[in-house]
Amino acid sequence: MSTAISVGKPSWWRSEFFLVGVLLLEIAIFSRTGSNFATAINALEIVRLSAEIGLLAVWMTPVVLTGGIDLSVGSLLGLCAVCFGKLWRDAGLPWPVAAAATLVLGALGGGLNAMLITRLRLPPLIVTLGSLSLFRGLAEAITRGVDNFTGFPSGFLDWGQGYLVGGIPAQAPVWIAVAAGVIVLVHYTVFGRALRAIGHSPEGARYAGIAVNRCVAWVYVLSGTAAGLAALVYVARVGQAKADAGTGYELLAITAVVLGGTSIFGGTGSVWGTLLGVASLAVLRNGLQLSDQPGELAGILTGVLLLGALSAEVGFKKFSARRRASVTLASSNSPS
Amino acid sequence: MKRLLSLGPVLLSLAVVLSGCKPSAPDSGSTAPAAGSTSGGVPKPLTVAFLPKSKGNAYFIAARQGAEQAAKELGIKLLFDGPTEPDPAKQNEIVETWITRGVDVIAAACENREGISTALRKAQAHGIKVVTFDADALPEARSFFVNQATPEGIGNALTDEAARLLQGSGEYAIITASLTAGNMIEWQKAIEKRNAEKYPNLKRVALRPCDDLKDKAFAEATAILNANPNVKLLMAICSPAVPGAAEAVKQAGRVGQVKVIGLGLPNENKRYVKEGVTDTVILWRVVDLGRLTIHVAAALARGELKPGATEVTAGALGTFKISGDNVLLGEPFKFTKDNIDQFDF
Repeated sequence: MSTAISVGKPSWWRSEFFLVGVLLLEIAIFSRTGSNFATAINALEIVRLSAEIGLLAVWMTPVVLTGGIDLSVGSLLGLCAVCFGKLWRDAGLPWPVAAAATLVLGALGGGLNAMLITRLRLPPLIVTLGSLSLFRGLAEAITRGVDNFTGFPSGFLDWGQGYLVGGIPAQAPVWIAVAAGVIVLVHYTVFGRALRAIGHSPEGARYAGIAVNRCVAWVYVLSGTAAGLAALVYVARVGQAKADAGTGYELLAITAVVLGGTSIFGGTGSVWGTLLGVASLAVLRNGLQLSDQPGELAGILTGVLLLGALSAEVGFKKFSARRRASVTLASSNSPS
Repeated sequence: MKRLLSLGPVLLSLAVVLSGCKPSAPDSGSTAPAAGSTSGGVPKPLTVAFLPKSKGNAYFIAARQGAEQAAKELGIKLLFDGPTEPDPAKQNEIVETWITRGVDVIAAACENREGISTALRKAQAHGIKVVTFDADALPEARSFFVNQATPEGIGNALTDEAARLLQGSGEYAIITASLTAGNMIEWQKAIEKRNAEKYPNLKRVALRPCDDLKDKAFAEATAILNANPNVKLLMAICSPAVPGAAEAVKQAGRVGQVKVIGLGLPNENKRYVKEGVTDTVILWRVVDLGRLTIHVAAALARGELKPGATEVTAGALGTFKISGDNVLLGEPFKFTKDNIDQFDF
């Protein structure tokens, strides 16, 4: 099966190479223009600040691999953050219990998406567009738009603000462990291969004996759980939970995934690429700020980077397809 | 494919190593932040970072004008950044980047008191001085708060102006943002106190909340005018309520019979002030607030201003009193038909 999946892949173009180049270029430029950019402390700070987007993005990768999308993760992060605050402050639960409940809530939110997508066969784009509004609306309703949970115990805040030995931010191990877990899941398990097969052709995957619905459902549940986890990291880092937490994070996560070379139509892509995508976006934002450039520029350059990367990929694909056109006819599968 | 995949980690670690290698050079000089920069032997100018609640808000644009003016006067480097919309999480992120970047002072208007205090305390732990302006953080998270107006200052100015316009006697009504907001309650109390002490013939007949909405203020003002025909003055103590109340008076056709005063921004009220609907808009000089904040920040960083000081000199702006750890901007300013055109915020 795996040979069938890699048919039509251009022989040497990979988004990862492009992104490593982008990353090195960014580092070279910002080392000159930014104050204290090229320091170990800042490198760790980038890891710290990219944890939430990173968590969402690595779990978005399997979703996109199946040919789906999850627009609701940013809103679900907001809802989970607010519920965590509510459970801890108003229900008086100890924070570890509230945190566990928040993860369950994230899974349930993802489960709702999963049910609508697999049972009712609604397109993921529409379902998660709906739950994007739903989750954010619930978060606003719970806080009536104004309530802001603060004053969390330091034992909890340490997970987002504390540092381990060597100045390693406390959330780094969590985020690296999750990323490693997703890499193993997507690249080294049967489940991961099933996801690609589903992304290429759900019908084909079903005929090949893959439990398509179950796989797809799991992917959304896990994506929701990741939103719950990201919510905890977010609240611990910022020290507050408000209904607008994580607004727009879903788009940053999807940007990182697509930048990392995962096809938005599903089937091909890698978590490594996503990680590089997260890194190049985070370094870009951090470097611009340390170079005293306005935040708007980050938005512009993110757009340029994404469009540039996609155009370059299509260009290379066409180029290599033309070169191989005489050898095989099976190489043109680019739907764009 | 497998082979290419296995290249992934190698490349990633290469990138990490590369980004991790660089620090060793500037790291040795991390206590002298100028080491890596191109400036050479010239001493680095003081860097002050100025954080508004939101960048696009006319109020903070005006404060920025003042801040830039002060930066020019003092020959310091001013960084201005903030969320595009009021967003406490973004504020924290910006403060944390400034900590990494290395600035000398952070001057912040805080959207969320507790939320930002964590980041500001961290900045202090890194040797960065912190002052707040417009909206304070927790006291231990900053050295000084540049206080634009005390409740007494605002209450007295509003009550005195009402008394002046009504020549000391008559009925008036207050439109507030909400009956529960802390600052609103403080202002109401200050107004009541001044009223009771100095103007026994001035009588407040209504106090209505408008939820900080102009439409609701308009509806409430209309209701007040209908229910209390003897009301001679509307006092709006939150900024959307001032144009809201003015519109109500105008549409009720009672311009001149019912006067409007309030706490608001000049630009929102220019039209009504020029038409003679609104008599006086009271606020502090926001440009001066920005300017004073930068002067206080610079004085603090240079060691000229220490905790316990009772006054601070802000260049051409003059000398300002300090009460506790609050630097006082002074009496509120009255915007009227004669001067409102000079202000743009």
